[in-house]
Amino acid sequence: MVDLTAPPTPVPVPIQGPWAVRARRFAEVGREVLRNPTTVIGLVIIVLLLSMAILAPVLTTPNVPDPYQMPRDWSARDEPPGTPGFLLGTTTTGGDVLYGVLWGARTSLQLSVIVVGITVTVGVIVGSLAGFIGGKLDEILMRFVDVFLAIPELIFALAIAAVLGPSFGNIIFALAVVFWVKYARIIRGQIIHIKQNEYVDAARVSGDSRFKIYRKDVLPNSITPVMVQATMDMGGIVLTAATLSFIGLAEAGLAEWGVLVADGQAGISAGKWWASTFPGLMVFLWALAFNLVGDGLRDVLDPRTERR
Amino acid sequence: MQIRDYIIRRLMIFPLIIVGTSIIVFALSRVGGNPIAIYIEHEMSAEEVAELEERYGLNDPLPVQYLAWAGGVLTGDMGWSAVSAQPVTEALVDRIGATLELAVFAAILAIMMGIGLGTFGGARRDRLPDHVTRVVSISGASMPIFWFAILLLILFWVNLGWFSTGRSDPTIFASIAHPTGIYTLDALLAGNLTAFADAIHFLVLPALTLAFGATAIIARMMRSSLVEELNEDYVDAARAKGLPERLVLRRHARRNALIPTVTVIGLGFGFLLQGTVVVEIIYRWPGIGRWMADAVLRGDQATIMAYVLFTSILFLFVNLVVDVMYAYLDRRVVLGA
Repeated sequence: MVDLTAPPTPVPVPIQGPWAVRARRFAEVGREVLRNPTTVIGLVIIVLLLSMAILAPVLTTPNVPDPYQMPRDWSARDEPPGTPGFLLGTTTTGGDVLYGVLWGARTSLQLSVIVVGITVTVGVIVGSLAGFIGGKLDEILMRFVDVFLAIPELIFALAIAAVLGPSFGNIIFALAVVFWVKYARIIRGQIIHIKQNEYVDAARVSGDSRFKIYRKDVLPNSITPVMVQATMDMGGIVLTAATLSFIGLAEAGLAEWGVLVADGQAGISAGKWWASTFPGLMVFLWALAFNLVGDGLRDVLDPRTERR
Repeated sequence: MQIRDYIIRRLMIFPLIIVGTSIIVFALSRVGGNPIAIYIEHEMSAEEVAELEERYGLNDPLPVQYLAWAGGVLTGDMGWSAVSAQPVTEALVDRIGATLELAVFAAILAIMMGIGLGTFGGARRDRLPDHVTRVVSISGASMPIFWFAILLLILFWVNLGWFSTGRSDPTIFASIAHPTGIYTLDALLAGNLTAFADAIHFLVLPALTLAFGATAIIARMMRSSLVEELNEDYVDAARAKGLPERLVLRRHARRNALIPTVTVIGLGFGFLLQGTVVVEIIYRWPGIGRWMADAVLRGDQATIMAYVLFTSILFLFVNLVVDVMYAYLDRRVVLGA
């Protein structure tokens, strides 16, 4: 019999006990992850993108007063790639595409770290309450989650950002409201499954408090699928945010990839392909890299999926 | 649990989820400033604005406002769409054909390409076709649709001149009647093959763009479930009785591998639905996606609410159908356990 509602299989080896055991297990996972060539490709791209984000102020002269606004050079509009001083060309409004690409990496890094941080925290708290305490609370919280999941992600985020008005801050808020639900659902399923293990019973008879059982036995063993999802969402969030700002929900002139693609769109019929192509490529690489690594992590951490 | 019981239970929860969704949609419209801002003209006096607020019931308690809105939705009155200067319901009916045509065409493409590609890769595990399948399915999930659409336009419109944006050639459009608003269907009803070819011609590029993400999801699932099925004993049995490999694949393994693949078609449809907003903007496709984008940029709340509610219900409905289909296909499934 196949039980559709069964939660995903837990990790093969529980990560618990003293730090030494934990560190050893961590190293094991690391070694195994690195054995997969596509994961390594993903990691290399991530390192490159992060260096771009970190080195943006060194590689370019930050725009004053706000470095996250595209600098405008009205004497150099629509320059093709390779023009001296503008390696990737310029936009119709004289924005340096390379500047946008580099500072866009910085924008994306901040965005994804903030949104993943918030959504994982909220999702884990709500999911833990539902799964660990159970009963009526579980029932109520999960119906809530069902309703949130009923609205397609992008459309939900689009509507929230729209009613709040166009700004990148509102995009961040909208994504946070939409993305936590998945984590709540994942962690709840895991916890319900882990709770049935004998070592949890053992901890209970030995007189540990409920919170201690949760913190030491249940949570550490339930968290890995959340880590896999969070890795993938580091990419997915940037992709969704770029889509929203492409539609026009971010401030004009922001050094963000979706905004740049939208700005460059007008020029493509006149053969000016670069202003959209490079920033869009960055979104693709960012999402691709995190998906590759997330995929590799899942292969190692979730033994059910077959190894390739 | 019997399939019938399961379906009944799902159908009973269905309206509850829709009510929940409608509450969220309503709440959205009341957190972001004045919901009738778009109706207020620059030269209106304070009294006129107050009168407008009174007319739209904004001074009533929130639950009363919600019930008024929900009652309107049930009777087909969803307010005035400022972006299209017509009632929301009318605007929705005018545009839904375009979006449905695009989405259905893209769904057919995605299912065909996804299953084809998944079979192609899964049956040749760890060889070149398999690697191709994996690259396509991972890039599909990471591809910004708006960028992909622009790349295709640069190649096929700007450089090759094979396709253009829009939905039909104006002269051909004028040559036939459009009772359904679905141009391919209208052309077939009129028996006009030129118009049919024209409709398809304009449909190909946006549908391909839209189908990419869903193709990736379907191909990935198809590949992995085919690999799994090919390891089963019944496949060895089929081979042992001397069935050619082609038939083992087609008659046995692929049929069973399709069952789990059905589950991701619902997910793929969600991808399609979301993608229409961006695809319709870029290809100038006059559907509800572009209507929503216009509404979003101008703060037209009545339109935004109608769109979100409508697409969510559509999405829920497709998922219900997919679940039931899956239960029907795979009798081993324990429903609602």
